[in-house]
Amino acid sequence: MEKKTPPENQTFYQQLGKIVGPENMKTDDRTVSRYAIDGMVPRAVAFPTGTKQVAQAVKAASEARVAIVPWGSGSGQQVGTCLSEMDIVLYLSRMKRVTDFDASNFTVQVEAGLTNAELQTQLAEHNLFFPLRPAHSETSSIGGQVATNGNGPARILYGNLRDLVLGVTVVTPAGEIVHTGGKTMKNVAGLDLCKMFIGSWGTLGVITEAVVRVYPLPEVARGFYITFASPEDAFQMIGRVLDSPLTPSAIELVDPVAGRHMDGIGARLNEGEVLLIITAEGTPGDVERHGKDITELARNHKAKSPTVLEGEEVVKAWRAYHHMHADLLASDPAMIQGKASVPISRLDDLFREVKRVGKGYGVEVGATAHGGNGILYPYFAANDEKASRIIDELKRTAAGLGGFFVVEAAPPQVRKSVQIMPPRNDYALMKRLKAEFDPHNILNPGRLLGGL
Amino acid sequence: MIAKDVVKQLTKIVGKENVLADLKDLIAYSYDATPRQEMPDVIVFPRNTADVSAIMKLAHREKLPVVPRGAGTNLSGGTVPFKGGIVLEISRMNRILEINTANRRVVVEPGVVNLDLQNTLAPLGYFYPPDPASQKSSTLAGNIGENAGGPLCLRYGVTSKYVCGIEIVLADGEVMNIGDYVDDSPGYDLRGLFIGSEGILGVATKLVLHIIPKPEANRTMLAIFDNLEDAGQAVSDIISAGIVPGALELLDQKMCWVIEQSVQAGYPTDSAGVLLIEVAGFADSLNKQVKEIEEICQRSKVKELRIAQTAAERDALWKGRRGAFGAVARICPPYSVCDGTVPRDKLAQALHKVGEIAEKYKVLIANVAHAGDGNLHPLILFDVNKPEEKAAAKKAGDEVLSACIALGGTITGEHGIGLEKLDAMPHLFDPLDIAAMRQVKKVFDPDDILNPGKVLPHEKAEVSAKEKVLH
Repeated sequence: MEKKTPPENQTFYQQLGKIVGPENMKTDDRTVSRYAIDGMVPRAVAFPTGTKQVAQAVKAASEARVAIVPWGSGSGQQVGTCLSEMDIVLYLSRMKRVTDFDASNFTVQVEAGLTNAELQTQLAEHNLFFPLRPAHSETSSIGGQVATNGNGPARILYGNLRDLVLGVTVVTPAGEIVHTGGKTMKNVAGLDLCKMFIGSWGTLGVITEAVVRVYPLPEVARGFYITFASPEDAFQMIGRVLDSPLTPSAIELVDPVAGRHMDGIGARLNEGEVLLIITAEGTPGDVERHGKDITELARNHKAKSPTVLEGEEVVKAWRAYHHMHADLLASDPAMIQGKASVPISRLDDLFREVKRVGKGYGVEVGATAHGGNGILYPYFAANDEKASRIIDELKRTAAGLGGFFVVEAAPPQVRKSVQIMPPRNDYALMKRLKAEFDPHNILNPGRLLGGL
Repeated sequence: MIAKDVVKQLTKIVGKENVLADLKDLIAYSYDATPRQEMPDVIVFPRNTADVSAIMKLAHREKLPVVPRGAGTNLSGGTVPFKGGIVLEISRMNRILEINTANRRVVVEPGVVNLDLQNTLAPLGYFYPPDPASQKSSTLAGNIGENAGGPLCLRYGVTSKYVCGIEIVLADGEVMNIGDYVDDSPGYDLRGLFIGSEGILGVATKLVLHIIPKPEANRTMLAIFDNLEDAGQAVSDIISAGIVPGALELLDQKMCWVIEQSVQAGYPTDSAGVLLIEVAGFADSLNKQVKEIEEICQRSKVKELRIAQTAAERDALWKGRRGAFGAVARICPPYSVCDGTVPRDKLAQALHKVGEIAEKYKVLIANVAHAGDGNLHPLILFDVNKPEEKAAAKKAGDEVLSACIALGGTITGEHGIGLEKLDAMPHLFDPLDIAAMRQVKKVFDPDDILNPGKVLPHEKAEVSAKEKVLH
């Protein structure tokens, strides 16, 4: 990236201070070091208070060719491809307003910095909720969740962010405010730019607001925790559940390695066993029926009878499930968390192969999975050289099963050394899209998989 | 007019039997389901992806407009060959390539008709939820081009939710795969951009779609109201109660009357309107839902609630709704369908406004609406031979859209912008929003040869429309 000479950049930092207010810009070492990513430290952190300020800041940065890193709660900053440049952090978590709360339309419009947990609290007062809670949802901001396409287990019932986010307001790399979508359930006016920004990792625009669909809190929510003696039985049961009229709100799988990091039921798994978590929500009658069918299916697949949790206990169990991911990552500085996606019916093959690959290198691999989506998250710790060989093998394995494998969380040197983006024939088009919207490559440069 | 040589080259690519250039054929492909008509120069039927790529390479070299077309049932002028050129008709690429219920996927060629897929899936206990009214003839790629909805989309979501991967051919003939067979393909969601792009970004040549098991049971009801506001209230209350019906359709008195003229669905012609409600779920718990809905309707002063007791009764109720557009066409062929969408609690207000507009312009408007989604379809009937009536219908339609925008809604829920709603785009979007859409178009099709003149208004038109609003 071509940068202007320091004196001109000096002017930029003064300008940035004027835009957000001097009290909302920090350049001291103590503050900026808290926003270091992969060893890179920003020169300034700005704390804008609204979309207009973000637009002015980005416009100024664009003119000065300064690299901007949008920051929600920071929970995803160590995930995926490493940044190639970083000059300033745009900290969005002071933008927490709910700008439109339309309970009767079942939509809310919120600023990017509101956390998922804060949103849930506000919604609960109206007997509503937002179904998609990714692993970091207690701290993660809605803007960050949308930018990183964080969906979570309930996607199986409610759909993904691309189905529940009806519109986003975005500041483009040129510093212009663009509105996409709206607040209606259906909307096909013009090109659907909203989809382009979901999962774009802040590389095409800074998401400053989002309109999301919300739902009435279910009358009953119940969780079924089923331990299987063998993974094969669990995967067969998943197949049966998916091939039935049941509509569970989660089908999650946990192996004993991952389970060690989960409080409660997952921690009690023996070697070779797996835990299947199926939740159902809705009317008492519907949930009752799920319980009946799931219990019967479990019995037919040689499982122990399900442990059933309800209400607040289910919430607690999900918290433990989400903490498990953070705890796994924190358990070893060399820990790598990948993500593999394969056709749903190949998930059992993937699980077996992942274990086999780990064994071949003498490395213990833990796994959790979205059973209804064919997505598996392997966890393993290995030295860099071994890790890179394991990653290569997992990539080949997933591709062989008709899917792909990517590295998500890993030490920076690992994320820098491996090619994270699987080969795709539409990559050139993605590159052109990035170049069109961000010709000077100032917005989260390098952050999208593949280095865009 | 294109050079004779182009027709010859097209013939070389796809064979003589797959090219049409006679006047009668050109006329047949000059229109869609809107009154607008423009002549193409040639119609070509590719047999496979390689054909599409070769055709696009030729068009790209010669800078010829290409209009991708499925069955031409669209309702916004999207497949009218506005600037002439090549109509690229994909209906002969109509094979179902893979059905895999264990993966919840089907892989199909773009020209497969929606209902043909449904009929293939039904015996397996599966279905593909998007069910536009045109499903008997519209193609799956056409549905993607418009991001089609349908009655079932209230419960299951629209087309974009069920499209996993698409093989596309770009304007320069390059073939690529956007999205994937599996979930969460990394990188930008180009598939999301492509869905609903009305043929201006590329040509879909292969589709990977998501299918789901059919619900165990359905119950269908017809709730009859003396007052549309009450019907609107019932809709809001049903959704607020956490019930997600399989469908929640509203038809007003005029619509019921029109339907009964051609299809005997048993709809009343002496009440303000009806709600067609279908609930789906488990056989053992549906009765409770039906009861709850019954209570809600009663609180909203329902005049009568009919619950279909047999499959034949259910089919009859649906026959009326599915045949609505056809019934209107029988009594008044050149009608125009509006497609406004409002926040779902604003539906009654919007319908009230539509009534006022009909009175103001002295036009006949019959209403059908996907009520649960706030998506209304006022059908404006007029005599095409009376210019003043035609003009009044146009004005009334524009005002309906303005009313939807004023209520916080949008100008199209599922029919698209095409040619018809170009003028309304600047009322809904700021120039910067449209400029960003143009940037996307430029990335996909820098020479503007794919379906030119659609979806995105001319920059000049945008400015003048904005000025009109200001004055």
